[in-house]
Amino acid sequence: MGADHRAFLDATLPYLDVVWQVARQAAGEGQDPEDLVQETYLRAYVGFGSYRGENTRAWLAAICLNVARSQARRRRRRPWEVPSPAFPDVPPWSRADCEQDVADVADVVIAALDAEQVSRCLALLPEPQRECVVLVDVAGYTAREAAEALGCPRGTVLARVHRGRRKLARLLAEAGVSHGQP
Amino acid sequence: MDSHDQHHRLLTAFLAGDLDPAEARQCDEHLLECERCWRAVREDRAGRQAARVLRQPAPPGLADRVAFAVEVAAAGRAAARRQSRPPARPGRRGRPGRRLVRRVAGAGMLAIGVAVALTMALLPGGHETRSVPAAVAAVARYAQTISSPGRNQHSYPAGRAAPVEVGRPVIVTAGGQPIVLRTWRLGSTEAVVAASDRPFPMPADAQGVPGSGMAWTARMGNLALYCLNGPTSELVAAPVPAAELAALAARLPPA
Repeated sequence: MGADHRAFLDATLPYLDVVWQVARQAAGEGQDPEDLVQETYLRAYVGFGSYRGENTRAWLAAICLNVARSQARRRRRRPWEVPSPAFPDVPPWSRADCEQDVADVADVVIAALDAEQVSRCLALLPEPQRECVVLVDVAGYTAREAAEALGCPRGTVLARVHRGRRKLARLLAEAGVSHGQP
Repeated sequence: MDSHDQHHRLLTAFLAGDLDPAEARQCDEHLLECERCWRAVREDRAGRQAARVLRQPAPPGLADRVAFAVEVAAAGRAAARRQSRPPARPGRRGRPGRRLVRRVAGAGMLAIGVAVALTMALLPGGHETRSVPAAVAAVARYAQTISSPGRNQHSYPAGRAAPVEVGRPVIVTAGGQPIVLRTWRLGSTEAVVAASDRPFPMPADAQGVPGSGMAWTARMGNLALYCLNGPTSELVAAPVPAAELAALAARLPPA
């Protein structure tokens, strides 16, 4: 044992905070985010010798998401997918009832931000949107880094982030109204 | 591509800051006229602001936990590499059957190899060379990681304060033995309690505790170790005088 694991830790530990952000949101029910972070680093360590990428942050995020998915599969659960989202995944301008149900959504959301409620609503987003919002807005990845982590084009990430944010805002507005919050 | 798709792509690019100044100006003008698109922008910004509420720094101690887990894994890999090296046999080439036997034997020896590697790598201070079982060495290493030198040496007892758990349990495997590590603070002393369903082997220089069955104590660097082997084995490690450790251990909750 020697320099290799120290080199690995030097290269990856600076990104512990962002991996933690991803793990907190990617961990399914009954899955400990700290365990997820540890497993992410252990898998990354195994692959570190052959890793030739340029963006360690994106690489770690990809591993973290893969670990979360595989652990969820082992539990025969699919924590990222929730049936019947409250709002269909279509642009607002294609919806006939747009005007009547979106009034002041942004104001409601901003007025009553609560981390637990945000987390619950975030969990209701479809997996692709949720992953993108977590990477970009929660963990602070650029769209390009998120695209690298997810293996999809940057434009796809941007579209999913946009749809995810809007859906999140609407879910929060609805939750705020239903709980009698401002 | 219909106009909805075009609007959506334009709006997404606008929000990402991807438009050139002329296109951005056009989009701005469009937003002044189009209530639907303006709402889409407001919802996007509200959703982004909401998601940022979830940002939270990593818990203290997580970096140490990760580093420790990697260190243990590194020791295991080093041992596996040593075990997988074929023995030097000049003039002889192993038959496939023998190679298989060697691999099986090598896998069987892996746990022992890990133990040896951990013994060499995880000893506090790095200057002890006598045989210390891997599980014991891992616990001692962890205890040294969480207790910075000079911070809480010999500061027990500190009143009759109830023990407070520090951080969260850490699970590691050392020498093939799964161990749950918990950290407790008593006054200004932090003690690590390691629990395992397998007995913690006794280091060579440990001493049995008279009248306590399979209990033993040992000293590793500035740490005192106290082990009580039973149906569930517990190993307590803390930077206190050895004579005080049993009393300290008695005040800690059972694992």
